[in-house]
Amino acid sequence: MSVLNSLKKLGPLCVALLLSACGANSVVVEGSYPSPNVRPIPLTLGVFFDADLQNFSYTEYTETGKEEYVVASGQTHMQLFNSVLPSMFANVVVLDSLEAAPGAQVDVVFAPSIEEFQLALPQKTRLDAYEVWVKYNMRLLAPDGAYIADWVVTSYGKTPTESLRSVEAGINDATVGALRDLASNFTLTFRSVPEVSEWLETKGAGN
Amino acid sequence: MMSASLARIITTKTDLFRQCCLPLLLLVLSLFLSACTTTTVDEFRQGETGIEAHQSIVILGRRQGSTYETREEFVTCVGERVARGTEAIRVIPEKEFIDSLFPWFEPRTAPLRTSDLQVLMEEPLVAQKITEYGIRYIVWVDGQTETSNRMGSISCAVGPGGGGCFGFGSWEDDSNFDARVWDVSSFASVGTISTDSTGQSYVPAVVVPIPLIARVEANACSSLAAQLQQFVNGG
Repeated sequence: MSVLNSLKKLGPLCVALLLSACGANSVVVEGSYPSPNVRPIPLTLGVFFDADLQNFSYTEYTETGKEEYVVASGQTHMQLFNSVLPSMFANVVVLDSLEAAPGAQVDVVFAPSIEEFQLALPQKTRLDAYEVWVKYNMRLLAPDGAYIADWVVTSYGKTPTESLRSVEAGINDATVGALRDLASNFTLTFRSVPEVSEWLETKGAGN
Repeated sequence: MMSASLARIITTKTDLFRQCCLPLLLLVLSLFLSACTTTTVDEFRQGETGIEAHQSIVILGRRQGSTYETREEFVTCVGERVARGTEAIRVIPEKEFIDSLFPWFEPRTAPLRTSDLQVLMEEPLVAQKITEYGIRYIVWVDGQTETSNRMGSISCAVGPGGGGCFGFGSWEDDSNFDARVWDVSSFASVGTISTDSTGQSYVPAVVVPIPLIARVEANACSSLAAQLQQFVNGG
């Protein structure tokens, strides 16, 4: 009787294990990002993260079209921008919507988005590395929604394969590498984007 | 039937074997069971070196290459060995340094030439951090370990009566690393130390596989670290 009861308890667990074996593996990217050592621009930035960015996930498919890995990186992108932007601007205000900008006393609104995400797995590329490539669209708007600048930033991260490292850990580390690359590229090239440079001149924050 | 005193003697002898002979046997076996490695170290000096007790160095891995990147573990190994011994040098950990000076030493942004370092030091925040750490030399480690000439095969089987393996495998490892030393006070390259370590590993298997691993990268690390320590100290 007790054996039967134990089997009844184990049943749902076995079913769950079988179902999990059939589905895609989920990777929620986690990383830490240092604050950049740059001179802050003496302006107030409003930042708006839309739902697509906040919940961004990429699905890698097998050669037969089945879902293989789901890489959720929306939250780690929030973490990255929340670490980078306060070092780049004197004040940063997170906006709930673009419509909230005029009342938030901000000088400019920044709205990043992900246009493309690519993942290269060693088992497919035959290389000894996990690689991640991301293409972003960066938009800078006036508080009233008028266009200031719109430019593309790409980032790349890779991590070598190691005998005791899981595929999930490899994907995570390559993605974190790509996000660090984004942070360094974005931070150091921000002032040199022509439209941004012109706008900074008009605000007296050109140098 | 065994008497109690005889059983005690046998037990005592077994304990004595476990305590004294077994570790000795394992040590001898481990010495025999590691394959041979050949290591060559070259030094090319371009300037005078020397370091004060309050100064430090940082050892960084080059990760700009598209085909390979210098492993973090190798850089850590060299750093730990340079920081040991009678001629120990204070070494700032790579991760701490890169995070502290973010984003100036990332793969895409790190200085490739000494003239780039000079430009970088014009950034007040960078100069301040490097001064705070007391960094006199930046050492760029670049290289990798490649495995080639894989031969043989090992087959393993498990049955109701037990299991075992049979076969033979071997491969060759080749570690090539360069350490370029930049003097932060003069923005000049003061020298390069190169190490080349090769070794053949074997795994014969008769029931149990016996790995005879050549510790190629570990030897490259210790040789490079010893030479680097001597070089930076001005020897």
